[in-house]
Amino acid sequence: MVIEEERFFAWLDGELGAEESAAVAEAVAASPELSARAERHRSMTARLRGAFDPLVIEPVALPGAEVIDFAAAQRARGERRWWHEAAALAASLVLGLVIGTRFIVSDSAPVTIAGERLVAAAALQRSLDRDLASAPASSAHRIGLTFRDAEGRICRTFSGSAANGLACRQDGRWGIEALVGPTEGQTGEFRMASGQDPRLAALVDEMISGEPFDAAREKAARDRGWSDR
Amino acid sequence: MNSADLFEQQLVALLPRLRRFAHGLCRNASEADDLVQQAAERALRSRGQWQPGTRLDSWLYRILRNLWIDSGRAHSRRSKHEAPAEEAGEIADPGASPHAALELSEAMAAMQRLPEEQREIVMLILVEGFGYRETAELLDLPIGTVSSRLVRGRTALLAFLERHGD
Repeated sequence: MVIEEERFFAWLDGELGAEESAAVAEAVAASPELSARAERHRSMTARLRGAFDPLVIEPVALPGAEVIDFAAAQRARGERRWWHEAAALAASLVLGLVIGTRFIVSDSAPVTIAGERLVAAAALQRSLDRDLASAPASSAHRIGLTFRDAEGRICRTFSGSAANGLACRQDGRWGIEALVGPTEGQTGEFRMASGQDPRLAALVDEMISGEPFDAAREKAARDRGWSDR
Repeated sequence: MNSADLFEQQLVALLPRLRRFAHGLCRNASEADDLVQQAAERALRSRGQWQPGTRLDSWLYRILRNLWIDSGRAHSRRSKHEAPAEEAGEIADPGASPHAALELSEAMAAMQRLPEEQREIVMLILVEGFGYRETAELLDLPIGTVSSRLVRGRTALLAFLERHGD
């Protein structure tokens, strides 16, 4: 039985159906040459995996981990540890959303679940809909920056006594992109303008396309009802 | 669990695998880490484009692979006239047998000897463990093309590693 190369390797890789696989296995077993070849390739694949696998065994970043434990960092001391940043960003979002779910049981919750999305609840929605950073209203939330993100959505940062956050307008609602607990000392009143919260500022930097809206642009966007054009 | 929450967690969990893939594609570790960083950033920015219910790993591998191609890293900046033998010098280990453990640097150097269209397929199937069909979908290639490139790539790799492992 002559076995084409591609079929031989498909067999070796477990890509053939049971019947075809059995036929090839029989032919390989009957041929010392093919058996040896199969063995050499299995061995090479194992060596290749063995060389690359330590990269996977070493934890790069764990959600919520403050310090990234990465053995190779010892070898690469002094190199940029970019994954720290990426993980910190991801972790802060995770943390924000976990914190966010605790508000949902309360009537005054700033956020709620709509379908599978975390969105602004009534009071926060009103603030995001109506309020201008340039003309702070006496509502429970204060608006910080308004900007357009890389996907073209209008996003706004906000701060309240319970949380600071970032929401983007999508499908007629304000989807919550991030929600973080108040900064230290920020109780009852707004000691820190949202957008100055370093956790949100980093996210804004990541998302923003162009410059934050100035007062005129902010007002114009509101007067259009945050619709795009 | 909230879907955005899940996305972040899964992305972070997949970073080590993306690093492994990138190390197989790139010439050195810092280039590989840069590539993973860019892929992670792009994934976070365009998470809206990922469809829940589809495989996040394939989507991330595709992002990384496309960045690799688009950035020109795939097409080595090294002159064709430069002898690759210098690299091979690092690999030769007189005492090693074909079964001896392979160092990461040796494996990376060996992968560099493959044309990029074979390299990505060898990595995806032999190291990352994707199936032929998954790989074909990930790379937008006919499955027959994947299969034949894999044969050529692994055959060349075997010849090289056995020659330098003796």
